[in-house]
Amino acid sequence: MKFKYSPMDWVFKVVTAAAALTIVVIFAGILFVLIRESKPAIQAFGVFKFIFSTDWDPVKESFGAATNLFGTLVTTFLSLLLAMPVAIGIAIFLTEIAPSFLKGPFGVAIEMLAAIPSIIYGMWGLFTLSPLMGNHIEPWLQNTIGKLPLIGILFQGTPMGVDLLTASLILSIMVIPFTASIARDAFQLTPAIVKESAYAMGATKWEVVKNVVLPYSKLGVFGGAVLSLGRALGETMAVAFVLGNNHQITKSLFDAAATITVTLANEFTEASGRIYLSSLFYIALLLFVLSFVLLTAAKLLLFKTGKQENPR
Amino acid sequence: MSERTRKIESALALVLSTLAALVGLFWLVFILGDVIMKGASAITPSLFLHNPTPEGVEGGGLKNAFVGQGLITLFATLFGVPIGLLGGTFLAEYAGHGKVTRMISALSDIMISVPTMVVGTFIYAVMVKPLGHFSGWAGSVALAVVMVPVVLRTTENMLRLVPWTLREAAFALGAPKYKVITQVVYRGAITGIFTGVLLSIARVAGETAPLLFTSFSNNFFSTDMKGPVASLTVTIFQYAMGPYDDWHQQAWAAALVITLFILAITIVGRIFIKLRYGNK
Amino acid sequence: MNIDFDVKGLNFYYPGGHHSLKNINLQVYKHSITALIGPSGCGKTTLLRCFNRMHDLYPGNRYDGEILFEGRNILTQGVDLISLRSRIGMVFQKPTPFPMTIFDNIAYGLKLRGVKKRGLLSEKVEHALIQAALWNEVKDKLHQSAYALSGGQQQRLVIARALAVEPEAILFDEPTSALDPISTAKIEELVEELKKDVTILIVTHNLQQAARVSEWTGFLMLGELVEFEKTEQMFTSPREKLTEDYITGRFG
Repeated sequence: MKFKYSPMDWVFKVVTAAAALTIVVIFAGILFVLIRESKPAIQAFGVFKFIFSTDWDPVKESFGAATNLFGTLVTTFLSLLLAMPVAIGIAIFLTEIAPSFLKGPFGVAIEMLAAIPSIIYGMWGLFTLSPLMGNHIEPWLQNTIGKLPLIGILFQGTPMGVDLLTASLILSIMVIPFTASIARDAFQLTPAIVKESAYAMGATKWEVVKNVVLPYSKLGVFGGAVLSLGRALGETMAVAFVLGNNHQITKSLFDAAATITVTLANEFTEASGRIYLSSLFYIALLLFVLSFVLLTAAKLLLFKTGKQENPR
Repeated sequence: MSERTRKIESALALVLSTLAALVGLFWLVFILGDVIMKGASAITPSLFLHNPTPEGVEGGGLKNAFVGQGLITLFATLFGVPIGLLGGTFLAEYAGHGKVTRMISALSDIMISVPTMVVGTFIYAVMVKPLGHFSGWAGSVALAVVMVPVVLRTTENMLRLVPWTLREAAFALGAPKYKVITQVVYRGAITGIFTGVLLSIARVAGETAPLLFTSFSNNFFSTDMKGPVASLTVTIFQYAMGPYDDWHQQAWAAALVITLFILAITIVGRIFIKLRYGNK
Repeated sequence: MNIDFDVKGLNFYYPGGHHSLKNINLQVYKHSITALIGPSGCGKTTLLRCFNRMHDLYPGNRYDGEILFEGRNILTQGVDLISLRSRIGMVFQKPTPFPMTIFDNIAYGLKLRGVKKRGLLSEKVEHALIQAALWNEVKDKLHQSAYALSGGQQQRLVIARALAVEPEAILFDEPTSALDPISTAKIEELVEELKKDVTILIVTHNLQQAARVSEWTGFLMLGELVEFEKTEQMFTSPREKLTEDYITGRFG
């Protein structure tokens, strides 16, 4: 019998290969186009000067990324700080505590929290959370920990509810499900036999978690944290409503600020002038590079733990 | 530490973990409950049947945004799904486990989490600025860019789950490779791939950031994809930020519709996966 | 001879009611080595895991009957599992070092019991490592990760970890099934050495191992204890036909 080679085979292979390469093309395209569009601003303000300049003045056409970076980094880190303990608690609950009939439904609930679109978080933040923060929670914080030396500085000013703290809180709620599900996956990699042998030595459940499960999965949990950091960094709509888009660097968490994404959402379509628009592209480029670096680091960490992120 | 204190410490830690779980649940109930309560009272037939009234005039609906959202999402799916599907096929069936495959897979994973706002600015620069106007097409392409890596990675994973013996059996019958893939392997992975597509639609249907400077917004009913097209998400953004109570009502209603749509798809996808692949 | 564990009418059920141990009766003598043998799935590991109530880690398991330890039934509700388990050590099929240094692995059980003094800890760690015939190999790298050790060394490390808290008994669940012959010989030698200090129960699928190290042997099949006898007796002239078939290799 003669072996027949089908030309369709070749065509199919080439078409699929081209489709796979689309990812590379999109990535390279984004990088190239953002650099091209940022060029006027790069030429006008340089790299370090732009990053460290707190100017954001459309009238004088003088721009710098510092205020945007400040808002982005503060909300991102604060949100992770608020989310981490809850996420790890959820992961411990799901792997070690919950009776099996609860694991499924609770997992679905957490997944639903992850599925809610960010615009909904943002709108809910504006109409529900923000007044709650401004009228009740923030004044209370001010009267309690706000009175303490040193960290009291963080709680100065008039609580309005449209500020860094509210934005970070919303962001943390969004980040909880991601971090929790990665932490849970990492916890589950701990071999049952090693956990059993800690129990066999008379360890309590918490001691098993603390001394065996957590050390075993720390790389995975850390990778999950970095991944969440990468996600929080690029989040737009959840914070766009409640941050106030005020270009300033402030000490108090009760002040309005701006992130890269919020600035883009609010100013992009209204930007007049070549340098203004180019500066907006420039901060978008910074965001792209920053999140790419973080996400790559997360990927490497998670790869090391032998578990890849589940694509959704 | 005495055994008593150790046990108390353990109980305390477990109580705290359970509390954390309740905190997560609390937020879900709080947000969903709020959206349902405020949205349900604002849902009226005219929301779906009428277009917006001029600014400041009471009444009207969001028919333009519902139709626009549908169009943009539909075309995004038509662009994004085939590319993701074929790309995932290449990685799973032709490329093996080599360096290139791993690089593209890793890049896709990273692209899944790249800020969607950046995608919006990118499409603005290549599709809106050169033409001088916003367009529905640009919105669809922006969403497709968000979709491709999601579909690609799910397809790759699902195809890799198809047992190798199934392919060997088909080859043994003398089928060429593309037929083995399209007629046998795809069939074996169809549930998983379909679910991946569903979830990717759920993912982009709630996106706002990539649409802000691509499809933009439109107060009038328009199905002309060459011009600006209204979408629910961008409308929610504008209306929520706006000064009128009437707008806020409609924004809540739109928020409820879109949330229910996305949660329904997510749950259906989950059920499919559970039926086909068990608990994992 | 003193009885350490007295098993009386023990039945065990996995979730869904699967009856996997049926009316087991046997005595484990103090400072002796008792081996449990039988084909896979016969219930020997299930029986072993009753002695430190490992089955309690998973929901739906049920015990019936008694295991008397120092005259008290350890299968009742009120038993404090934490203190029970810190008195009865266990060694598993595969080495299970914890993700910490060699020193911290050995000191783990002591620290759980509240021993904090560095000097006392060092002393006990050294003693346990000497007992487990591992001291000479690791004394210069006590503060390195336990994962750096070979499989056989890791298994002796786990034995040292169990010994450090001076338990009354140690349960061995096929401790050499993942090891090479040389490491196996070392572990067997060690087990024999240990019986002067602790009571030993060992599950093994290796009949020669049971014959070599144990004084008493229990043969299980399909959840029933077919025969419980002095090892010598069992391997030379078993009472039951089934036992004879099994040890002469006619099945299993």
